[in-house]
Amino acid sequence: MVTRARPSLLCLAGSAGAETLATGGATGVEGPERPGPLQDETLGVASVPSQWRGVQGIRGETKSCQTASIATAEASAQTRKCADAEVQTEAPEPVGVPSVPWNDGARLAAFLRRVEVMVTQELNKNWQSHAFDGFEVNWAEQQQTVTCLHTLGYPPAQGQGLHVTSVSWNSTGSVVACAYGRLDDGDWSTLKSFVCAWNLDRRGLNPQQPSAVVEVPSAVMCLAFHPTQPSHVAGGLYSGEVLVWDISRPEDPLLWRTGLTDDTHTDPVYQVVWLPEPRHSHRFQVLSVATDGKVLLWQGAGAGRLQLSAGFALAVQQLPRNTKLKKPPRGETEVGATAVAFSSFDPSLFVLGTEGGYSLKCSLAAEEAALARTPSSVPLRAPARFTFSPHGGPVYSVSCSPFHRNLFLSAGTDGHVHLYSMLQAQPLTSLQLSHKYLFAVRWSPVRPLVFAAASGEGDVQLFDLQKSSQKPTVSIKQTQDESPVYCLEFNRQQTKLLAAGDAKGTVKVWQLSTEFTEQGPRETEDLDQLAAEVAA
Amino acid sequence: MVNCLSDLFQAEVEETLKRIQSHKGVIGTMVVNAEGIPIRTTLDNSMTVQYAGLLHQLTMKARSTVRDIDPQNDLTFLRIRSKKHEIMVAPDKEYLLIVIQNPCE
Repeated sequence: MVTRARPSLLCLAGSAGAETLATGGATGVEGPERPGPLQDETLGVASVPSQWRGVQGIRGETKSCQTASIATAEASAQTRKCADAEVQTEAPEPVGVPSVPWNDGARLAAFLRRVEVMVTQELNKNWQSHAFDGFEVNWAEQQQTVTCLHTLGYPPAQGQGLHVTSVSWNSTGSVVACAYGRLDDGDWSTLKSFVCAWNLDRRGLNPQQPSAVVEVPSAVMCLAFHPTQPSHVAGGLYSGEVLVWDISRPEDPLLWRTGLTDDTHTDPVYQVVWLPEPRHSHRFQVLSVATDGKVLLWQGAGAGRLQLSAGFALAVQQLPRNTKLKKPPRGETEVGATAVAFSSFDPSLFVLGTEGGYSLKCSLAAEEAALARTPSSVPLRAPARFTFSPHGGPVYSVSCSPFHRNLFLSAGTDGHVHLYSMLQAQPLTSLQLSHKYLFAVRWSPVRPLVFAAASGEGDVQLFDLQKSSQKPTVSIKQTQDESPVYCLEFNRQQTKLLAAGDAKGTVKVWQLSTEFTEQGPRETEDLDQLAAEVAA
Repeated sequence: MVNCLSDLFQAEVEETLKRIQSHKGVIGTMVVNAEGIPIRTTLDNSMTVQYAGLLHQLTMKARSTVRDIDPQNDLTFLRIRSKKHEIMVAPDKEYLLIVIQNPCE
């Protein structure tokens, strides 16, 4: 209890209190030498008031704040000038291989040394192996037969007795459009005809009600959808005009027209094709082929007009004389063209089918001027380079193989399909498919050895050259009363579908069995072999 | 001296690749580095870039599969057989050799 140092102020009370506690305790307890009887003792309550903490009452002060008033003002703005601008993405540039500097030759050489023996062994083993003979994997569900998915028709057109003259699939493969007209005699000049389109992927598809209908003042002979724009379609009329419609605009679908000028065809346009423009490969122009002997290239100019950008004219005197042709009657120099097909390997090479029954190999790059009787704004050139030996009647359809650069098919009114190679005038093979006319022939876009033909007896014949080169693998009856099937087109995106249009005004969409849509292991080689051995 | 050596190596590399390319049925040969960038090829640009990128990823996946199952194991060779041809990949620490062959049926 002896505090030596002077206690600080803060603990003064504490020590004083402690003294009382200590002394209080000391009086109560007996000295440590003689323990007395334990008895209860109550000690006083010791309280230690705090000195340094006073009562802290709650102090409050009133303060207030107010934001300054917000200044508002009214003003109006109006653009005085406005401009239209269009944005178009360019097609992506192909990725180039980045060049790697040559600085690690030694390591690369060492790697190849290590690896070469093993790779060579595997290559040799593979070449001789029979392990996979006859082994085929089925990834998709197999379908054994050809079925009719949709039967589409437009009752007003069918009521007028119009035929389906042409069908076309659009760039996405979901819309099929057909053109109505008449391919035999009829009252052309006052006949209103239609272009109808059905969207097959839409729910609630009504086969009798097209999703888009365009009324056209004259019969439409041919139709072609734009390769990249899903709603633009070009059509050629009986009057010689070429029109381009946008079927996504119901009120005013007509986009461009050639009009009836000196440049337009004077005869029915039998086929239209979209071609990429030479310098801007994402823009397209329309090529039209008609029986007046002219092949014209149209480009969209302002105000909805199609302007002639290049043209070709066929004249008998200018045809290459490598094949003996019948002497034409005096005075007639035009060669009517009825079909055109472009090669998928060489974009400037095309084949024309003519009324005279012979096919012509032509080039867009031909320079020779044509003998044309009618003047035109753009000088016409003679495109023919080679003449193939003729059919027994006019050629209504030609198709170039998408898998072989030299093969093409032509179908004529003699009921025969000729398989030609670009290199020789005589056909490689000639197949008689029908006793009546053949109106259309198309190569399959997925199987190199398959093609389809539309006959005047009302059936669509599918040929598989791998199975049989004499008779069709499948013959699909489209019409019940043998009225002709005039046109057919494969769907490039949904490769199981084939659309065919007939004289009753109906378009049937057929779903092909798997054997027609899946490529076998060596088909391209078989096609090459076929081309080579038959030519020999 | 360095020039001479690198020419020698270059000649050896070209010789080896030509030998492989001239085997029966070989459609294309290419060498790809560890990042998937092609350094030597006999095919055209677009196909080379496609093959290099896709096969590099697949080889890495195949290798990790083998090592996940047994860490002592490692990938020595990868073969993909498709309807049309067979793709063979010889992997290494720094490079990949890809050979595409069309075997006779």
